[in-house]
This record gives sequence, C-alpha cells and structure tokens, in this order.
Amino acid sequence: MLDLSGISRRFGATHALEDVNLALSEGEVLGLVGPNGAGKSTLIKIIAGADRPDAGEIRIDGAPVQFHSAHDSYAAGIRVIHQDAPLVPGFDTVENCYLGRAYPRRFGRIDRKAMRAAIAEVAAGIAPELDLDVPVMFLPPAERQFVRLLRAVADKGRLLILDEPTAALPAEDAERFYEVLRRTRQRGTSIVLVSHRLDEIAEFCDRAVVIRDGRIVARFGKDEVKPEAMIAAMGGSTSQRSTRETDTTAPKMIEIDGVTAGDLTRPADLAVHAGEVIALYGLAGSGRSSLVNAIWGAIPWGGRMRLMGADYAPRSPRQAIAQGVSCVPADRHRSGLFLSEDLIFNKTLPLLSGYRRAGGLPIPDTGAERAEFLVAAERVSLSYRDPRQLARTLSGGNQQKLIFSRWANRHSRVMLLDEPTEGVDVMAKATIKDIIRAIAADGNAVLVSTSDRDEALELGDRIAVFRQGGIVRIFTRAEASAEALSAAAQSREAA
Amino acid sequence: MTRTNLNRFGTLIAFVLLCVGFSIAAPAAFASPANVFNLIQQMATLAIVATAATLVMTISEFDLSVGFSASLAAVICFVLFGQGYDVWLAVPAALLVGLVGGAANGVLVARFGIPSFVATLALGTILSGFAFGLSGGQSLFQSVPDGFKSLARGDVFGIPVLGFWIVAVLGVAAFVLTQTEFGRRLRAIGGNAQAARLAGLPIVRDVIVTFAIAGGLSALAGLLLASRLGSVQHTMGEPLLLPAYAAVFIGTTASPTGAPTVAGTLLGVAITGVMVNGMTIVGVEPFVQKIMTGVIILVAVLLRRVGRTK
Repeated sequence: MLDLSGISRRFGATHALEDVNLALSEGEVLGLVGPNGAGKSTLIKIIAGADRPDAGEIRIDGAPVQFHSAHDSYAAGIRVIHQDAPLVPGFDTVENCYLGRAYPRRFGRIDRKAMRAAIAEVAAGIAPELDLDVPVMFLPPAERQFVRLLRAVADKGRLLILDEPTAALPAEDAERFYEVLRRTRQRGTSIVLVSHRLDEIAEFCDRAVVIRDGRIVARFGKDEVKPEAMIAAMGGSTSQRSTRETDTTAPKMIEIDGVTAGDLTRPADLAVHAGEVIALYGLAGSGRSSLVNAIWGAIPWGGRMRLMGADYAPRSPRQAIAQGVSCVPADRHRSGLFLSEDLIFNKTLPLLSGYRRAGGLPIPDTGAERAEFLVAAERVSLSYRDPRQLARTLSGGNQQKLIFSRWANRHSRVMLLDEPTEGVDVMAKATIKDIIRAIAADGNAVLVSTSDRDEALELGDRIAVFRQGGIVRIFTRAEASAEALSAAAQSREAA
Repeated sequence: MTRTNLNRFGTLIAFVLLCVGFSIAAPAAFASPANVFNLIQQMATLAIVATAATLVMTISEFDLSVGFSASLAAVICFVLFGQGYDVWLAVPAALLVGLVGGAANGVLVARFGIPSFVATLALGTILSGFAFGLSGGQSLFQSVPDGFKSLARGDVFGIPVLGFWIVAVLGVAAFVLTQTEFGRRLRAIGGNAQAARLAGLPIVRDVIVTFAIAGGLSALAGLLLASRLGSVQHTMGEPLLLPAYAAVFIGTTASPTGAPTVAGTLLGVAITGVMVNGMTIVGVEPFVQKIMTGVIILVAVLLRRVGRTK
C-alpha cells in the first residue's frame, strides 16, 4: 500500500536520508532498525507528513501523493503511535478513542451508545480483554498502550508506525502487546515497527530493514530476520558473555543484610566484592530497582547495610555520595539530566563542592570544571561538539554517557546502575558495557539492575534474580544460562 | 545575527526603541536628568521584589506572598517606631519577620509538599491579616526617625540612593545565581527536581532558604518604599505582586533557555517602568497605560514563543 522511492533529505551538509526505497503491502509488518541518529526519525516524519523530502516520491495504493502536513498523512490512513502519546487520564477508552474526531450525534446530542458500539466492535477483534469503561488512568501501562493502538485503528488507520512501543513495558506485558498487534495485522493493517529490542523485531516482523547514516544498508526477508545479522549490519559486534568469575578473596565492598524497601518486600541478602559486577535481573516491579534506590538512600528502607565493613545507613543520595557510592539512575530524562543546562553543569553537579578554589568559598572554579569534564568525557567516549552545548542536544546514548561521566574521575567504591542501556542504540550499548567493566576493573563493586536478560548474562560475574519482591536465586557465572534466568524470574510456583 | 540572538536581544532592542521613542516625543520631560532620577526611584522597590520572584521562579515555584510580606514589614517597622524603638532595632526586626515568613513558605512547600501557589497565597493572606491588625487599618506616619528616611531618599553624587540599592541587591543576586554552588543548585532544582534529588542535592534546605531570601527581600522592598513615602498602609505592598511577575516573564524572553535571570528581570522592570513613566509624560490616560502594559507583556512572550517553535 505504501511505496517510497528515492527519498532523500538533507540538513545543511549532512544527508539525513539518501535514496531510500521501501515498499509495504497490506497486512505486512516491517521492522525498522538502526542506531540513534541513523535517520529513522526523519523517515518516520516524512511518512507522517511532518517533514518533506528534498527528493523522491511517496505513493499510496500506487498513486503519487504529496504530504504537506501531518493532516494529509492522517487522511491517507497513516498513524504514528509514540509510546508516550498523551491520553486524557480521566477519560475512558471510548472517549480517548474519539479525541479529535467528530462525535456521532443523535438529536443534536453526543451519542455515547454509538461511540461505545463503534469502539467495542474494533476492540473485540484486537484487544477483547480491554475494559472500555474505566478512566484510562486506572489501566495498567500495557493496556494504555492498547488504547493508543485502538484509537489509531478505530479511526480508519491502515498503516501504523510504532516507535519503541514496548520500551516501557516489562517482558510479560510486551508479549501481551504483541498478541494484540498480531490480531491488528490480521485485519489487514500494515505496521512499521521501530525498536532497539532486536529479538522482538526478529520474532514479530515479516521483513526488516537496517538503516545507517541515512541509507538502507541491509534488507532481511522473513526467515533471515535474526538479531545477530541485524547487529552486524548496524556495524556492531555481537555481545560476548562475561567469562570472569567472582574473586571471593577480594574484600566485600557492600553487604546487604535483610534489606526491604519499596517493591522489595522480602528481606534481601547480598554481598558484592571489589572488582565484581553483579547483575540484578528481574521484571519491572520485582524489587531490583528498589534495592538500588535503597543503597542510594533515595527511598526509605529497613534492614542493615555495611560499606567496606562499616555500618552504612544512607537517608539521602547526598549521604550515599559522601561515602563513596555512585549511581546512574533509570530513566535519564526524568531522573538524571538537566536538559536545558550545558554538559559541564550536568557533569559536575553532584560533586560540585569539589571544584572550589583554594580559598574555600562555595564558588566553582570553571577552569577546573572544564578540565575535569574533558578528561571524563574522554574516558566515557562521549561525542559532543562543545562542553557548553545543552544536554538536550545529545543523542540518547551520549546523554547516558554524560551521566556516567559524573563519576568518571573520582575514586568511588560502589557504583549503582539502573537500566544503564535503556533506549540506547547498539553501538552506544557496547561502549557503555565496556565502561561498566572498566569501572569494576578499577576495584569498584558494581551493581547493574536490568530487565534485559542478555545484558545480565553479558555483564554479570554473578546474577541475582529477583521475582515478586525478593531475590529468588543468585547464579554464578557457571550456573547461569538464558533459560535458567528466565525460569527463575518468571516461574510462579516456586514463589 | 542568528534567529535565536535576534530573539534574545529583541527584548533589549525593544527597550531601547521605547526610550528613543519617548525621548523624541517628549525630549524635555522624558530624557531630563530629573526624570531619570525619578524613574530610578520608581523602579527600585519593584526591582527588588521582582528579584525575589526571580529566585523563587528559578526553582520553578511561585511566591504570591511577596507583596504581603512587604506590607507587613513596613507596618511592623512603623509600629515599633510608634512605640519609641530605634531604627537599629525596628529595621532588623521587620526584615526578620520577612525572612521567617518566607522560610515558613519554604517549609510548607518543601517539607509538606503543598504547591507553592497555594501555600504562599494562604500564608500571604495570613501575613496581610497581621498587617491589617497591627496597623489598625490606619495609615502610619508618626515618629519616623530621620535615619530611616535617609534609607531611600536623596542622592549621592547626584545618583539616587535607591539606585545603589538596585545595584547592590540585584548585583548580589545575579552573582549568587550565576557564580555560586547555591545558584547552580537552584537552577538544577528548577530544571529537574527529581534529578536534583537523585544527584544528592539538599533540596529541602535549598528550597526553604530560597523562600526565606525571597521573604527577606520583599520585606526590604517594603521598608524602602515606606522610607521613600514616609508613611505606611497595610495594603501598600500588594500592587507590587503582578508587575513583579510581569517583569520576570518579560525578562525570560531575553534568556537563552527561557529560564529567569536577574539581568532579564531588571530589563523587564525597566521596560514596564519606562512604559508607565513615558506614557504618563506624553499624557496617555491611566487606563490606556494598563492596557498597553498588558499588551507589551503578551507581545514579548508571544514573540519569544514564535521564535522558538520555528
């Protein structure tokens, strides 16, 4: 139904897209894969009518079209669904699906029955379990995602473009979402799926294209869509598992003794040695993030902790920092960065008092800040234009490296990382993993909380698996395997 | 000049054009040394209250009690004068009340999580009640010591004393916000409070201190106003609230990221001050002045917005 030929788009001297050819037939699912900044967003914008190509042609059902605005593209049945597209929290599913549409009327009044019937009919086909009548703020995140999908399909959407639809969902919910998506395509709806989760692309898509530096560099047919092949096409190397074993003779840096906090409802015990990376693996809400936050002093906790043998009881991140603990929190936009401030501001903030001049007045020495920033940026291989550029102008992977840079030139003892590679492209992921290993090699204890099983296997010298508010098992390198981790994280009878 | 630069300096250019326009329209009356002297005196209290508002807006909060704090401080000072107390006791006492009132705002916001809009409105109303009660609803103007009058009157080398107050207060505030660790932390809290907390910043303390400073500055502005006028009414500070925030908002149009800055706020104060002063001299009716001032605020903010979305 959609046919793109020779699409090019330039911004100044850079080719955001160069001679892109792409066709999609009815009911087909195409995976769109590529590192951050490869041109995926530009391509989506062009299909959605939010941007216009400098050259090339778009055809819908064989007829050439010109999209002058998002409205034109919408009229052609194209729907872009962003993972955080706004819903009105107090409206139910039916009302949310009718936002921006003409309401059916009866005797001049809004015909609620007709609205509900129209939505219910579509919902029955793709997401029968969805409750249409409760305000969406009471729906779990996965079902809110169903609502976004339903809204697009119900208003005559023929081509859905999904941008990282499962990034915020735990594995189980992602599976439910794909089940709904599968039923959607059976209606003949075409789908373009953009995701960094390559295994999902491999499982769900009929075809996939890899885009890099504005060009399509590889195309994969149904039986060829494999994560390894896609990574290779993106210019990355396939991940390697850690082969290191824990050195149990190394001193214990942090000891967790019967700690409970937030989602972590069952007392957890754990000790991490110097030089060790321990992965905390589990679904969202399993307690692994709560443990990180407790050690960081960010949430109230109970139990006992010891840092290098001494009692450690942080009541705020400030106290944790003072004792040599560092943290890269999850969700960098909400919890990490100051997007409207420059890179140096973002780097030096947590340890700002370390940049005073000899006099001791609380006035940062900007020369010292810049010098340390340059060293730290080098160490985390941050790519940037100018130390004074705003943090919002960096790509996702570089924003994450910027947060790492905060701790790069200090001797910390324990480093906490929560979802350190979330929403980061394959290349940046590899760099970040190297950084993590280097931090451990310096003699620090590193705790990596992750919902990504492969990442846990790759990084962890040991892997603590969390399920339903507690640690269910701690695997050594030799014991760990993908199957064993999944079984431990998800089986219910053992709990 | 790039588009963003045009946006940033557009507000400054508008100010210059305004001055040039009034100078041409009323060369003798507007551009005279006497009028400039007068203009600075008129701007001073607003500039200080607007600086308080700037600090609070830097942490992305509002303080609606600034005008009430100014009134209460002035009333307390004059009531103490009436009971025979000296300037050296009355003035610090009045400033202290401003600081404590501001700190109370900060505690309500940072410790109890009450939205600052609500907390400061409620506390400001309480303060205004005290001002009303202490003054008895009367205008106070008796037994004011000469020392107090000299706080805001007269000149040094031809420059009005209030001009020095503007330079001192705004200079210190600008230095604190741009150069010190405290200022950095305030910008971080305003930019992303959650990230600031997770980065180990002492948010509760900083928020309380910021509100306390805002309360203290408002009290100072109230005292300077009282010194200049020589009398006090329990509602005298209230008309400062809206122009103070108007000045901050106009000022944000001159800042690179849209965050409030002291320099921008001074520009905002100057623009509104010159508008009112110039229009009065040219003979524009007061009601038209108000309408024009409102239009200027909207135009400044709209121009900035249009520039940004492009």
